[in-house]
Formats: sequence, C-alpha cells, structure tokens
Amino acid sequence: MAKDHRAGSKVRGDKLPAILMASHLLEGDTVFLSESGWTLDPSAARIAHDAETSAAMEAEGKAAASANIVIDPYLVPVDLTESGLPLARHFRDAMRQRGPSIHPDMGKQAEFAPLD
Amino acid sequence: MYRYDEFDERFVRERVAQFRGQVERRLDGSLSEDEFKPLRLKNGLYLQLHAYMLRIAVPYGTMNSRQLRQLAHIAETYDKGYGHFTTRQNLQFNWPKLKDVPEILDLLADVEMHCIQTSGNCIRNVTSDQFAGVAKDEVEDPRPTAELLRQWSSLHPEFVWLPRKFKIAVTGAEHDRAAIKVHDIGLKLKRDDAGEIGYEVSVGGGLGRTPMIGKIIKDFLPKSELLAYLEAVMRVYNSEGRRDNKYKARVKILVHETGEDEFRAMVEEEYAKLDGPTINAPQEEVERIAAYFASPAYETLPETSATLAKAQANDPALARFVEQNGFAHKQPGYIALTIALKEIGAVPGDMSAAQMRAFADIAERYSFDEFRVTHSQNLVLPHVKQDDVPAVFAALKEAGLASANAGLITDIIACPGLDYCALATAKSIPIAQAIAKTFADEERQKKIGLLPIKISGCINACGHHHVGAIGILGLEKGGRENYQITVGGDASEHAALGERLGPGIDAADVPAAIEAIVETYLGEKQGGESFMETVRRTGPEPFKAGFTAFIESRTLETEAVG
Ligand code: SF4
Repeated sequence: MAKDHRAGSKVRGDKLPAILMASHLLEGDTVFLSESGWTLDPSAARIAHDAETSAAMEAEGKAAASANIVIDPYLVPVDLTESGLPLARHFRDAMRQRGPSIHPDMGKQAEFAPLD
Repeated sequence: MYRYDEFDERFVRERVAQFRGQVERRLDGSLSEDEFKPLRLKNGLYLQLHAYMLRIAVPYGTMNSRQLRQLAHIAETYDKGYGHFTTRQNLQFNWPKLKDVPEILDLLADVEMHCIQTSGNCIRNVTSDQFAGVAKDEVEDPRPTAELLRQWSSLHPEFVWLPRKFKIAVTGAEHDRAAIKVHDIGLKLKRDDAGEIGYEVSVGGGLGRTPMIGKIIKDFLPKSELLAYLEAVMRVYNSEGRRDNKYKARVKILVHETGEDEFRAMVEEEYAKLDGPTINAPQEEVERIAAYFASPAYETLPETSATLAKAQANDPALARFVEQNGFAHKQPGYIALTIALKEIGAVPGDMSAAQMRAFADIAERYSFDEFRVTHSQNLVLPHVKQDDVPAVFAALKEAGLASANAGLITDIIACPGLDYCALATAKSIPIAQAIAKTFADEERQKKIGLLPIKISGCINACGHHHVGAIGILGLEKGGRENYQITVGGDASEHAALGERLGPGIDAADVPAAIEAIVETYLGEKQGGESFMETVRRTGPEPFKAGFTAFIESRTLETEAVG
C-alpha cells in the first residue's frame, strides 16, 4: 500500500475551526473527539475555534492512540453550518463524516441526523 | 476443483490461530498499531475510510457453492449483507469488526478459504483465465500451474518479505484473458516446435504509478523447470530490487533500470547456480494437482442444442443474453456463461448475500458445482449444458443476475475509490454508475459493441485504467475531484497502455466526454471494427481532437451560463 494520505492536512489556508477524527480500534468505525470521550455521531464532535484548543485536542487524540482506543487521529478543518454543525472542508473527510455516497443506507448517514 | 490435503488444512488453521493471538495482543495493548499493521495486512485486513476491510483470496478465481454459501453467511452475520469482487479475482468485505476477524477466518478455513497472500510484500494470490479448462483456444488448463505456484509461494520462507508485492498470472490460451503482460510475472502455456508444453515467461509488467508492459525473458521454459526458474527470478528480484523507495521497489523498475537483456542474463546466471531437481516439483506431485482439475463428467451431446435454439427464438431477452454473455465451450453441447455483476446503476462487483445463495444453487445444479470470478469483477458458470440455459437464465433473472452486457460499454471495472478506500483521491464507483446510466439503452450498447471502460480512484490503478480501451483516473486537483481520460489501453495479448486525451475534467462532465469519444469511434469505424481495432488503426489523434472539441464546447457552455 502506498502511504495513507490525510485530507485534513491538505486543506489550504486556515486550519480552523477544526474537529478531531480517528478510527476506532476495535470496531474500525470513524469516531470524533467529543466534549467527553469519543463519539460515533458527527454532530457531537467537539469544535476547536482556536489554536490552543486544537492543540489540546490533538494531544488528547495522541494519548488515545497510545492507549489503544483509536487509530490515526488527525485534525480536520471544518466549516460551520447555519446551525453550527461542523462540515469537513475536504471531500475525503466529508465522506468519512457521512458514509459511502453509493450506500445512503450505510454508515453515519444511516445512523445519525445529517450535518447539512 | 483443488481440495486441501492435510498440510494445507494445518497451515491455514495455524495461521488463523496465530492471527487470533495477534488480535488479542493488539486489543490488550501489547502490540502497537505500528507493530500490528504489517501482521494484519499479511492476513488481508486493511483499515479503510469507514471501517476495516477484509480481502479474501479466491485462488485463480475458482469457487464452489459451499464456499459461496459460507461467504453469504459471513456477509450476513459479520458484515452488512454483501461482498465485493475485485480485479484480483478476490472478494472483499467492507465492514468487519476487528474482534470478529479471527472468527471469520475460522469460518473461511471450514470451506478451505483464507486471506493469506492478499496483501503485504509477498507473492500474492495467483490469478488466471476465467475460462480455464473450458476455452477452445487453450493449450493446457492453467489452473494446475496456478495451484502449484500457490503451494510453492505460500510456504516459501525466502519470499515472505520481498521489496514489494508480487503478482503472478497464468494463461493457457492464445487469447489472453488474464492480463499476464501487466503482472510482475506473466506465464503463458505454449507448445514448442516439437509439440512439448512449456511456458513463455514475461517479467516486469505492472500498472500503478509507473505502468509497464512485461518483457519476455524466456521464450520457452520446459514445463518441468518452472519452479526453479521462477525461484531464480525471485532471487534476483529479492536481492537487487530496491528497498529504499517503495515507488521504485516493484520488479518492473528493476527490469527497466537494469535493462531487459541484463536482467535476463542475471536470471540465467542465478538459474545455472540452482539445483533444479531439488526445487522443481516432482512429476507425481504435478500429476496429483492436475488430477483435481480434470474435466467434470460431461454428457455426450450434439454440438448445439435444439432446445436452446427454440427457446432463443421465442425469447429475445434470452437470445440477447446468450449472444452477449455466452462463451464457446470446448465440449459439444455445453456453454460457459458470464454473469455480469453490472446491472445498470449497480456497484460493479457487488453481490448481496441473497444473490450469493441463489447463485450457489445455480452453480451447484447446472455447472458441476463450480464457478469462476473474473478480473472484470464478473462471475462465470463454466460448464452449463446448452439445454439448461433457459432454466439458468430464468433463475439468474429471478436473482437479478441476468444482465446481458458482458464486455459492453456498461460492463465497467471500477475500484472502490473514495467511497471506501483510504488511499483514494477521487470517487470511482459513482462515475461507473453515471456512465452506465448514460448508455443504458440496449440497442445503443449493442451498436457500440465491445468497449471495456476501467476506472481507478487513484494512481495505484486497482481499476486497471491504463489498460482500459477507455481508462479513467480520478485525482485530486485544487481540492476537487478531477478525472483524466485515456484511450487505447489493452490488457489482452495486444497489451498496450492508454494515451491521455487532454486535461482532466470534472466528475459531472465524464459521461458526456465518454459520449464524445464514442462518437469519434462511430465516425472513424471501418466495417465491423471494434473500438480497440479502430484505435489501433487510427492511433489516438482523432480521439484527442474529438476530446478537445468537447472541452471547448463545455467551456463555451459554462461561460454562457456563468
Ligand atoms: S486504485 Fe486507489 S482508490 Fe482505487 S482501490 Fe486502489 S488504492 Fe484505492
């Protein structure tokens, strides 16, 4: 396999606001750092509006990876919807927030309220 | 079909037990992700965008009904009720949980299946012609060779950590349906002037970042010398292949950088040093394996079936299906049928658990309990009695498996792309769906004729876009998905890499661009030429001109709207 690329870090310009995304070790599901622990629900992701918060979230992600809870946590730049929900700016991250575009009946989009 | 002996059985069970232990150690924290990743990859387990993905080996694409029923059971119990057939003749599950994988591997072992050699820098699952043992143009059934290579490569301690993955394909036919020229090693069974059977050996083909057509390094290798000669090739690669840069680590780069003649000389030198008889398989073993692939107990029948002819005359849909998806069988009165997993709007290669069960029943009842997976993400019933075709067609229709488009413009290869794949730079499947919908009309498809379109969602080229008559590569450009289009690629014995037509375009423009390319073909076509025959005669220029005109008209439209 070639090197995994992370979309979040490829977004040009402002990297904030941001959320922290990862894969759950046991289940493999995409998870988001919330106000308390990890959540499967993309709407419940904690949003960093400043560099200090995003750095703290990143540190929390790294700690969770070392504690074998999640794999490959990374910060994802988002835009906020009118209702204040975080929508990933990069189409790859947005795909992870929703689930496969070809299967609306699977993934986040099937289990949680839509972000937009 | 090949059946495991006690050694195969023990080997697979041991690997399952080993992986169970590795998963336990991962979960209790004694293995970090960095330590665990190469181990899980050795067992076909990837981490994708939404979940883990498990890739199951289907050696040379041959399976039976019991195995398919087990896959249906796994799909329903541990996944989301479907599986996905890939261009490597494998099957992937897209949603397994890590904790369930050892159990899944045990269930696979129960039906003589596994995930070994589906990933990692080893000799991968060997692929072959989907019409092996059936085709009229065959010198010899390639599957015994493929099985011999499977056994040799699965247990070979020297080739477990190669510089990079290594893919071998074998064909026994004149017409290459196994794409051997784009494999690390391609083997073609042939006869020499004395009528002896042996192999033509090509090395250094491959797609991906640096696509290359394999070079013939041995015109004729006597059949009995296969393993020793391949061992020499592998040794040269293992010691000379680059390990410093993964993008230059495939054997194609070594062959290219060393030069074909020099590489051949290195292999010959290594081969001369090897003690052939200790490496080559003993004749009894070759015969033992070949016996598993003996033809089934065919009935003696007339060449063609009056029953089928009459049914076709009464049912145009059946007639179309047989004409498009039927393949001439070497045995009088029989036919091989391609089951295109390409219903218009479906996901190429996907099959639901219900379809698996229905198809298992059909294969068991009408095809000597055997079917094949093709590298075009389709299935094949290899031994159907022509008299039975109307009943088979009815059963396939009932299961939603009777798409009569094998080889046509809607029979598209598409890798998983950005809908699943962690490496993807763009979506692939929705592009295939949009093209299929554009060309859904059966008459139109028929008029266009054979036209393999192949789509990859990134430069790794799992969708074989370089060798598509029309190839589509999805990339990311300026934060958007962007698609490059090529024509003239060919995976057959006329192996060729496609040429780019022009700048990349947006996803929404792809179907119309394909229409423009098809128009160019229909304008240039002479007589009964297929798309590929026309491109071979005209070269890519008229297609480039047509594409440029398309882009210009698009730009004008956008400007007018904007
Ligand atoms: S070609 Fe790229 S996107 Fe498609 S399956 Fe292969 S690695 Fe994934």
